[in-house]
Amino acid sequence: MTETPADGSSLADAPATIRIVRKHALAIRWMHWINFPVLCTMIWSGLYIYYMDSDRGPDGPIHQGQTFRIGLGSLTLVRLFPEWFWKLLDASEPRMPRALGYHFLFMWFFVLNGAAYVLYTLLSGEWRALLPNRDSLREALGVVAFDLTLSKVRPPQGKYNAAQRISYTLIILMGLGSALTGLAMYKSSQLHGLASLFGGYQGARWLHFWLTIGYVLFFMVHVAQVIKAGWNNFSAMISGYAIEPAPAAAQTTNPKEETP
Amino acid sequence: VIDERDTNDPESPAGERRQQIDATDETVGITANAADVAAPGTADLAAGDTAVAREMARRTRRSFLVAGAATAAAALGYRAIERSPKVDGLSAPLRQTAELNAKLSRAVFRERGLAPTFDRRVAVDLRPKGRSGVDTRMDVSTWRLKLVGIEEPHTFAEYIADVNSWRYASTRKPPRPGALPDPGVEPGLLITLEQIRALPRHEHVTEFKCIDGWSDIVHWGGARFSDFLEIYKPRRQDGAPPRYIGMETADRRFYTGLDYDTALHPQTLLAYEMSGKPLTLAQGGPVRLVMPIKYGYKQLKQVSKITFSNERPRDLGGDLGWDWYGGI
Repeated sequence: MTETPADGSSLADAPATIRIVRKHALAIRWMHWINFPVLCTMIWSGLYIYYMDSDRGPDGPIHQGQTFRIGLGSLTLVRLFPEWFWKLLDASEPRMPRALGYHFLFMWFFVLNGAAYVLYTLLSGEWRALLPNRDSLREALGVVAFDLTLSKVRPPQGKYNAAQRISYTLIILMGLGSALTGLAMYKSSQLHGLASLFGGYQGARWLHFWLTIGYVLFFMVHVAQVIKAGWNNFSAMISGYAIEPAPAAAQTTNPKEETP
Repeated sequence: VIDERDTNDPESPAGERRQQIDATDETVGITANAADVAAPGTADLAAGDTAVAREMARRTRRSFLVAGAATAAAALGYRAIERSPKVDGLSAPLRQTAELNAKLSRAVFRERGLAPTFDRRVAVDLRPKGRSGVDTRMDVSTWRLKLVGIEEPHTFAEYIADVNSWRYASTRKPPRPGALPDPGVEPGLLITLEQIRALPRHEHVTEFKCIDGWSDIVHWGGARFSDFLEIYKPRRQDGAPPRYIGMETADRRFYTGLDYDTALHPQTLLAYEMSGKPLTLAQGGPVRLVMPIKYGYKQLKQVSKITFSNERPRDLGGDLGWDWYGGI
């Protein structure tokens, strides 16, 4: 995957204050972007599938489903979604088969892409830059404090900073959780042993849904961070390369020339 | 100012540096080592920066073109799914995927795994959903199970030259003539509820799952479908049992199809009891199909006709875009 520019030699030798560095491998970039339409399709179709959760009749929910609820006993902390949200989606039972059709096609892309990513990071050694280490938790708090302008101490960045290490590893574990809860729901009788790990069929449905809410939250923070980091960082996820300041040695100017 | 030496020469310091960089795969457009060249002037640096920026722009442009092409290809993929002709209410690629997934499920699970069972104390009456195909005004005494396609039907006392001549008495308005396809003349048996009750009785407490997402734990009682098939043996075709079983309700408005293997599953019941009481008409009585390895839309209520075939029977869910297989 080493790409040498056609005019590489002259570029390599010309003195400059900036240089091009390789940031993301081709495989990582493809797997990253494939996730976007796949997750959009899974979440979009998943909403139509979950719509009937509350056993709806013509006049609204008959039994309030427990999937959209976070609570303990009779205490409900959160319950999604308001009716206007479903109206916006134009969700209905006759729309479910198409959503199921998409979900059970794109589940393959989701699982295969995720498996390829894990395999690639393991084989390429990329996991070393991605897995959190013993300092990550402490450093991640520093990253959050810095990003929220609560601290002026710039945390160590490296290829990925501690907060990135933790969240990029967590999202993979969440992906695994989605695949396993999905499988437990999909074959809830044949794989009831797997389903029982998640508290049975309804438990698997609950977890599958809230993991997805977790993706949405991840996505929002991720996009905010990308906007904050700027164009150079964003385009590196597409081209694989970024511009960064060259080491001082390469840009030493002759002071005599500057001040005659 | 530009170093004239061959940078690929490992003997030269610049060449050495180049090799290191190639090895670490870190930097592409490297800058020259200040020690090798005369100290650059501001103009040289500006020219160098421009060259780097130009190279970066070239790479970015190329990658964005690839990204654009990939996005267009993905859009065409979605369009192909949306515009494909529908097969039984579902776009062809999605239908084919559902069939492939079903094939994979059958190959892996072989319809053998048992659904988990629960304590009777947690069982509830199944919520009465889906009135389609359920005639609550039927006179139960006129209920018979029409059975078509068994081995030597005329040797049974229950034989009738045309099962379709049998009428279920109901105070419900009958469908207008021609609303339902004419099944023609089919010789077979008319089986009574007492005959089904005479088969070995089995009970299980299992979770009934609707594809809508809700589920109820229900205590069922009835005859194993496999026991039923022991007495009323389907006609073998080419030395093998038929591959499929079709069923329909008394009013013929709801129908389902299942694989022969599913019918033989030990938890597949012709159920006539729920929560220890006779199944009411509203709950799909007098006899409904119970299959804990399938979603609810395959578990037909008021089973009133059973046929055997090597061709896959129609299934109401399957006709409306749902998965024909519906196996969980």
